[in-house]
Amino acid sequence: MEIDGDTNEDNSRRIQVRFVTKLKAPYKVPTTAIAIPSDLSRLGLSSIVNKLLQAVVSEWKTEPFDFLINGELVRMSLEQFLLAKGISAEKILEIEYIRAVAPRKEEEPSPHDDWVSAVDGSSPRFILTGCCDGLGRVWKEAGLCTHILEGHSDAISSVSIINSEALGSVTVATASKDRTLRLWKFDAEDSNDHPAMIRAFKILRGHNASVHSVAAKTSGDMVCSGSWDCTINLWRTNDSDTDGDVVSIKKRKVNSKAEQSQSEGEAVSMLVGHTQCVSSVVWPQHETIYSASWDHSVRQWDVETGKDLSNIFCGKVLNCIDVGGEGSALIAAGGSDPILRIWDPRKPGTSAPVFQFSSHSSWISACKWHDRSSFHLLSSSYDGKVMLWDLRTAWPLSVLDTHKDKVLCADWWKGDSVVSGGVDAQLRICSDISIP
Amino acid sequence: MNHQESQRPEKVNPLEMRDLGFIESGNNDGLDDNHDQDELADSSQSRQAVDESDSSEDEVAPRNTIGDVPLEWYKDEKHIGYDIAGKKIKKKERQDKLDSFLASADDSKNWRKIYDEYNDEEVELTKEETKLIRRLLKGKAPHAEFDPYAPYVDWFKWDDAKHPLSNAPEPKRRFIPSKWESKKVVEYVRAIRKGLIKFDKPKEEPRLYLLWGDDSSSADRTKHLAYIPPPKPKLPGHEESYNPSLEYLPTQEEINTYQLMYEEDRPKFIPKRFTSFRSIPAYENAIKDSFERCLDLYLCPRVRKKRINIDPESLKPKLPSRKDLRPYPVTCYLEYRGHEGAVLSISVEPSGQWIASGSKDGTVRIWEVETGRCLRVWELGEAVQHVAWNPLLELPILAVSVGSDVLILNTGFGNEEQQRKAKELLQIGTPTSSDDSDDISSVLSWLQDEKHDCIRLRHFRTVSSIEWHRKGDYLSTVMPAGESRAILIHQLSKKLTQRLPFKHHGLPVSSVFHPTRSIFFVATKKNVRVYDLLRQKLIKKLETQLREVSSIAVHPAGDNVIVGSKEGKLCWFDMDLSSKPYKTLKCHPKDITNVAFHRSYPLFASCSDDCTAYVFHGMVYADLNQNPLIVPLEILRGHTSSDGRGVIDCKFHPRQPWLFTAGADSSIKLYCH
Repeated sequence: MEIDGDTNEDNSRRIQVRFVTKLKAPYKVPTTAIAIPSDLSRLGLSSIVNKLLQAVVSEWKTEPFDFLINGELVRMSLEQFLLAKGISAEKILEIEYIRAVAPRKEEEPSPHDDWVSAVDGSSPRFILTGCCDGLGRVWKEAGLCTHILEGHSDAISSVSIINSEALGSVTVATASKDRTLRLWKFDAEDSNDHPAMIRAFKILRGHNASVHSVAAKTSGDMVCSGSWDCTINLWRTNDSDTDGDVVSIKKRKVNSKAEQSQSEGEAVSMLVGHTQCVSSVVWPQHETIYSASWDHSVRQWDVETGKDLSNIFCGKVLNCIDVGGEGSALIAAGGSDPILRIWDPRKPGTSAPVFQFSSHSSWISACKWHDRSSFHLLSSSYDGKVMLWDLRTAWPLSVLDTHKDKVLCADWWKGDSVVSGGVDAQLRICSDISIP
Repeated sequence: MNHQESQRPEKVNPLEMRDLGFIESGNNDGLDDNHDQDELADSSQSRQAVDESDSSEDEVAPRNTIGDVPLEWYKDEKHIGYDIAGKKIKKKERQDKLDSFLASADDSKNWRKIYDEYNDEEVELTKEETKLIRRLLKGKAPHAEFDPYAPYVDWFKWDDAKHPLSNAPEPKRRFIPSKWESKKVVEYVRAIRKGLIKFDKPKEEPRLYLLWGDDSSSADRTKHLAYIPPPKPKLPGHEESYNPSLEYLPTQEEINTYQLMYEEDRPKFIPKRFTSFRSIPAYENAIKDSFERCLDLYLCPRVRKKRINIDPESLKPKLPSRKDLRPYPVTCYLEYRGHEGAVLSISVEPSGQWIASGSKDGTVRIWEVETGRCLRVWELGEAVQHVAWNPLLELPILAVSVGSDVLILNTGFGNEEQQRKAKELLQIGTPTSSDDSDDISSVLSWLQDEKHDCIRLRHFRTVSSIEWHRKGDYLSTVMPAGESRAILIHQLSKKLTQRLPFKHHGLPVSSVFHPTRSIFFVATKKNVRVYDLLRQKLIKKLETQLREVSSIAVHPAGDNVIVGSKEGKLCWFDMDLSSKPYKTLKCHPKDITNVAFHRSYPLFASCSDDCTAYVFHGMVYADLNQNPLIVPLEILRGHTSSDGRGVIDCKFHPRQPWLFTAGADSSIKLYCH
């Protein structure tokens, strides 16, 4: 099968290629080898595949594709790519195509009263945001706020959904600059026009300085928090009184009509070792906590013993950390420079990052791995951009430039959307991102 | 023949001996026959007696006995000598010479006759004797019988000898090289080296030489150290050609303009064109030119020009590369926006979480470093000159100078306990100033400010700078116009104020507490005075040699001070070294507004009205012998100028190698590594 649409193709070389895919039926093209000009780049390849698909399905809507050759994304012209990778152009080249990872839809922004400083999209049913006005908000969808978490006296710096599997009530944790963490419970399903005000059922006190990060254990019975006072505290989340933690039950003094008990919790244990502010913590596995700190290090903690297992020195102040990717072992972290670094702690004897992505132009405020794909992650930066990355290429897959000012937080939602909040006090949702 | 005889060997017959004596007497005349016959006989007799044992062949003994005396002694005597018995030997009668000649001519044997003057007789040589003489003349053995080449007779029999002749071992000298020879060789070698023995062939003089060659480079000239070759006359170029290209020929107007020129400016030679070689006239200036050349050569003093050939790169000091001195602030990532006027002062909270800034718009703001969020704003109504955060972590209070007031604000950070303490501290119970001296209470009052819930220290003049003591209890304020009470030290816990107990010299600009000891630095416009507060005396006076000091900062170890000046110079003082600046860095084209040291990294910075901040590496070594290392690292740009002012304040982050700069463009920037 030959494509000879253009006349100026004759002065360029032609390569025999075969398009393959793992996509399902409507995306399949015939697997015969065709000759295409070698100076085609991603756009040209995409149009070819779209034409092929049009030949199969009559009313085909054009769609952008991304192309993989030997497991690497094509980001230049085919000729350059083959030269750079040293691939022979004599044989029939197998090009795998996937749907391009780019948002196809931008949803309505969800306005806040102040900077949106934290977001968690780990539950597909709702989005939890934390705001600098001290309120947490629960959004069922874009623009639809169902609950407001009220109680912090200072800006919320981090939010975490503890368990969302339970159908009825959902437990979430928020960390705030007022040196406390609060645990909240609400029913995610009930929806009315007016957002319901929720009070915390438990206040966790114990940090001496503002709390910067909170992360929940996968089983949901504990949370850990990193603070400016250089410590990581572990807390129990169960409100019941199995332990002797509950010290006092205070009646709320200010608003006496909504009588509700608020218990106070104390830290179960404290992980000491960082010398400066612990800016971010993650708790991906049962026994291990990863933390990033302003003392330029990433530490891996054993929860049982309270000792740090490993220490990766970065040289820059770190603001965010996430663990995921291949085998859920790669550590991605960003901080006070525009480079998103990814370490592989399984690699012995080196603390050099295995990947460095440097397309941002300012501090990186958040980075998150996609929970299904081991290649994709996102990062948000103070330059106002959210970038989607694929480990298989050094260029960003797409740049979401929807925010007007610094982006402070970003997360995946439902596996195909990106939620982000920033200084412009908007929660923005970019959806319909096809990630295989 | 006589000469030959004198070389005869010793063993000759007496006749020849006589001949010898006869010849040696000097009388060469062989034909002389003046001697008497008898005398001759006597002498021959006496000879006989002398050489008695000698020869048996002498048939006639020599009679004369006078011995070896000159014969002319007897020339005029009648005798020729005495015989052995002492009788005179009479001379023989002289034969007439002609007769004797005739006789000899006739006589065929005459050639064999010899006149013996000594004995005064004629001797006729025999045949054997002539043969003998002939043999001697040929250099052979006198006797024919003697065989010089007789076969060798080996008298010793070797046949049955078992042993060598001598039992002595072979001497060592047979085996070693000759010492004498080696000495001789060494002698020759030395002589060659000294040049006493010469091998070189006589050099051929080059027959050809360059007639027009450069004789200045010839060897004999350059041997002299003082010889300076004369400058060469300029060689003629194209324009001196008799037929130059047209572009060399001046036009008539140009020639006319030459006439208007001064004599010195006028060109010496005006090119002209001639059709042929033949038509060239004689050069009219030839004699004048050569005369002037001669004048030049002998009247003009010539000096050897000393040209030092030094690579300018090698004169630069060896400084470490900037890459090795990382980290240091490089790029601006964060900006703190919100002020509406120039930001005059910033101060970083000791843990580095917040910064406070005071601006010309009359507000004090507190920002979160990490996000750039403005957390608190105080409206004070007047331009805020200086803000200073208390150095204690657990005491989150802020001192602010507004006009002639100093406000001590409670920031509201910290936990409940810290807040309680801070509030307690900022309460003035009863106005206690009874123990103050009167002059202090008249110029300063401690007031409670209800509006901002803080302490207001009302001074009598404008306060330009505030500095906290490291323990957070004392703070010093500087009023440049305060004359003798320009610098006051306040104690917060007791709400007391005292004057600096020293005489002031000049206009004070700023003051700093020593980071570890009870030492106080006062920067005036000209120099820096260092006081010991405990012993109450002046320790040192640092002479800045600057026109106007604007700012001062003390190294966290306390032994080094940097001083910025309004002419853009930065002085580094090593207090142990001298009271003169160790280094003066001239880098800013405009006023330096502030200088700062980093608390833990070896960095310092200066900011200036030229909208830049310079970051330097300033390493102070624990080894006292090693001088501080100062390396300029980075120029931080980004601020814009406003009202002729650029960057007004700069402060380092206490824990990170970051620099905050406050600009007149109402923004604060954070430069990260």
